Amino acid sequence: MKFVTARERSRTLHIEITPMIDVVFLLIIFFMTTAQFARMTRAELALPVEPGEQEQAPEEAGLVINLTDAGEIIVADRTLNLAELEQLVRQEIQLHSDRPARQLKLLIRADKNAESARLNEIVRLLQGLDVGHARLATEVPR
Amino acid sequence: MIDVTFLLLLYFMVTTVLAKPEDRLSPTLQIQRDSSTSSASDFEPQIVEVMRIDGEPGYRLGATVLRSKSALTTALRGLPKAPGVFINVHGGVDVAYAVAAVQAARDAGFEQVTYVPAN
Repeated sequence: MKFVTARERSRTLHIEITPMIDVVFLLIIFFMTTAQFARMTRAELALPVEPGEQEQAPEEAGLVINLTDAGEIIVADRTLNLAELEQLVRQEIQLHSDRPARQLKLLIRADKNAESARLNEIVRLLQGLDVGHARLATEVPR
Repeated sequence: MIDVTFLLLLYFMVTTVLAKPEDRLSPTLQIQRDSSTSSASDFEPQIVEVMRIDGEPGYRLGATVLRSKSALTTALRGLPKAPGVFINVHGGVDVAYAVAAVQAARDAGFEQVTYVPAN
């Protein structure tokens, strides 16, 4: 029988592998979920390169409307037409009925090569629903 | 398995950190007003037209044609800030020009910037 002597025991560094693997897996799940959620709300777009308003305080994005260079409107990974977008914004207004439509939080992420006419259609739709503000996403230049 | 796990963790950490930083511009959207309420005493808004001029995208401020965002910013700096500025965006230009006009107005010191889609 092989007995671990006191001298051998003192030289052996015993690392608890099992809880470390648990923590690592939890971290992986966290980063995977974060990446997946970000990909769902924010489509891959080439945003206009502008410094923006550089406000320090983080603000809730609210409804994120993506506009691709091909003129597609994408919200939460779904491609919508204008009628569907209008319905979605109306639902959003109803969901936040505690505040007026003018204060609805909206973020428009429009590709820099998208047609301004298409962005204008979205803005006119929002104006028709009495939405007073919309934020335009920009990519901060490095 | 531990090596693969660590590699996966590194991959997702790196791809999350490398996401391009974004910021926002917050123009107001013009709400349609009943024309019967307008009167001669209403102030004339300062308007920047974003449109194609002679086949090229550009900005028109009054009678002045400007081709770059920096020129637009310089021109806007000389205007009074209190009335605000309307960014009237026509079709036929890229979104980048419209957003640049809004940014130029902010850089010039305007707090009241309104995005107006042209008819």
